[in-house]
Amino acid sequence: MSIFNKNFIAAGMAGVFVAGMAASAMSADIRVGITMRMISENGQRYGQMVMDEIDMINESGGINGNMLKATLMNDECKSDKGVANAIKLINQQKVHILIGSTCSSVSLPIVDITEKAGVPQIIPHSTNDKITKKGSAWVFRVPVSGRYYAGVNAKYVGENIGKKIAYLCAADAASQNDCDAMQSQMKSQHGADPAYVAQVQEKEVDFRTHMQKIKSAGVDGIMIAALAETMARALTQSYEAGIPASVRRIGSSSASNSPVPSIAGDAAKGVFFAAAYAAADSRPIARLFNEMVKKRYGVNSPDHDFSQAYDLVRITEIALKNADLKLDDENLAADRTAIRDAIANVKDYNGLASGPISFCAAATPQCRDGNRTAVLIAYTKGGKDYKTEVLARVTMPIDFGL
Amino acid sequence: MTAIYSIFGRISETIEKLAAIHRLLPWILAFALLLPLPQILSALFNDYYIYLANKICIFILLSVGLNIVKGFCGQVTVGHVGLYAIGAVSSALISLHFGWSFWLAFPIGILAAGLAGIVVGLPSVRLEGAYLALATLGLGESVRIMIAVTPLFGSSTGLLSIPAPTIGSFTFDSYTNYYYLVLAAAMIGIYLSFSILRSATGRAFMAVREDTVAAAVHGVNVTKYKLLAFVISALYAGAAGGLFAHMPPGYIHHNNFTIIEMVTLLLMIVLGGIGHIWGGIIGAIIVTIIYDQTLEFYFYQPLLFGLTMVLIVIFMPRGIGGMIDRYLATKKFIASQEEKSNAAS
Repeated sequence: MSIFNKNFIAAGMAGVFVAGMAASAMSADIRVGITMRMISENGQRYGQMVMDEIDMINESGGINGNMLKATLMNDECKSDKGVANAIKLINQQKVHILIGSTCSSVSLPIVDITEKAGVPQIIPHSTNDKITKKGSAWVFRVPVSGRYYAGVNAKYVGENIGKKIAYLCAADAASQNDCDAMQSQMKSQHGADPAYVAQVQEKEVDFRTHMQKIKSAGVDGIMIAALAETMARALTQSYEAGIPASVRRIGSSSASNSPVPSIAGDAAKGVFFAAAYAAADSRPIARLFNEMVKKRYGVNSPDHDFSQAYDLVRITEIALKNADLKLDDENLAADRTAIRDAIANVKDYNGLASGPISFCAAATPQCRDGNRTAVLIAYTKGGKDYKTEVLARVTMPIDFGL
Repeated sequence: MTAIYSIFGRISETIEKLAAIHRLLPWILAFALLLPLPQILSALFNDYYIYLANKICIFILLSVGLNIVKGFCGQVTVGHVGLYAIGAVSSALISLHFGWSFWLAFPIGILAAGLAGIVVGLPSVRLEGAYLALATLGLGESVRIMIAVTPLFGSSTGLLSIPAPTIGSFTFDSYTNYYYLVLAAAMIGIYLSFSILRSATGRAFMAVREDTVAAAVHGVNVTKYKLLAFVISALYAGAAGGLFAHMPPGYIHHNNFTIIEMVTLLLMIVLGGIGHIWGGIIGAIIVTIIYDQTLEFYFYQPLLFGLTMVLIVIFMPRGIGGMIDRYLATKKFIASQEEKSNAAS
């Protein structure tokens, strides 16, 4: 084959490649980019739930006749990977809306990326209050902000358990935020200083020294703020150290994740925490949701990260239906703005969350932390077939914690 | 394959010819040629590739630096990413807490990493091989843990809103603008690496790598040169860290400096060829691109990277750089033989 022919074929292939890329960018789909923590078993399920719900929207005819084209990427809960995913999804896939991320430490830098690019970002799980305090006009949070959780927990603890609380705080963004906010709320609501504070690694395995110190401090309660597996280990070791059940165990929001009762077993009994959703919720929508999650993902009592993933897709669906979209390359920026404005117009959405979710136009935490209702949940049984009960349901004032 | 070798051969010859005119000429030309890359990438693809080009430049700086201690001086280190973290956090902290300009914070970050390089290098005086690897791994991981548990260093939330560098009214706040900064840094880093390799210091490094006893017998201060290699390598890591911290969106977190990042960095220099400057550069480019192209197959990525590393060690122990070197040496040998036979006939 002559050099000319080789070059001709190479040029042809390059042409096809470029044309293919251009064609993919010009299709009339509503492009949805998703970046989530897809490294744990539960993380994969949450991501899969978002994808499955999007597939179901498409199967039922899409949004105003347009199909949703979703791209799910794994950020491994690492900020640089999350940033790379966001830039890729925004510039290469030219997404209309970005969903993500699971971890606060990833959502935080992505807020700057979406703000600069003018892409609506809707957050499925991150609770760190700094996310909406950045003042981006493009970010919306479906989960309850950490500032509300702390208020609910502190009120209940101070009034029902006592003021001498020990804190064990893992070094991930959400847990640290929950821990700091709880200490601050205990101080402001009850004038109580921590009886003991220890910071531990994200994946710490040995808490026995801390537990012995906590035992000798004679506390009323222990707050364990950590990701699910770490929390489960800490709970188990608190009983191994001989701390009695009368010392109440308080979990951070990730206590709602199913690995906590599954791994901790009997040590999970009595642990209470604030979350956005209770599997023990008696509403028909919650019963149906629990059955659906059990059937699809084999999880008995879905935690609030499942419900938040579900609610997020429903809110996105409402917003996309209400947005006047042109869905061509020329109007990409206008479409993104229309979607942002449509999300800001979502008011009193009643889904699985324990209270209504409402957004508004101002780029403030008051407008963008849409969910203000936390539910206090306690485990009544640990193990694989764990059971929960609802202790209280509290809707916080909009300015709380600011 | 021969075509690829031929391209590298021609590039090598052209560089030699240009360097004969002035030693800086090839570098200035290369810099000028690479300057419009963001515009080309933006026109052909999209802005994401400019971000990728920025990352490649930072990784080049890291891998070229690691090559100095590992490739030139033969010291096994697995703590390089810790030095990268020190550079990043120091520069970010100085900018955020004192409000100092990037142009002051960045060199201080490099110096901080250099000082830490002495600490990382100290075990090399008494340890070798796997023991040294373990010691440096421990030091590198300690840095990450310290960042993770210290609120001043960002702790679990990370350091936010690290300001972008500015020159007058020009701000390096977009990936296109930032590219000019990281490209310049990478080019200077590569140039200095070549200068070190060709200097007496570089020869001393190689003598230590080949045989410490023989080097000592010939008057090379082994301890001094081992520590020097660690410090120079740390300066590179500090520079890469500083550039990473100030790159938009200006955010760093302890999860950016884990053992996985270290393994990825090692893969870059193993693939490129340990001890080959160009190899490290090629390795950084290839690994970053492969990593990016396989992002959507995240379940298989660790397997792919692990297998690649094993296969390279078995079948290409000297990496791509070694293969190119072999080709160029063979070509030179054939040419010299042909010259000799022509002269004889």
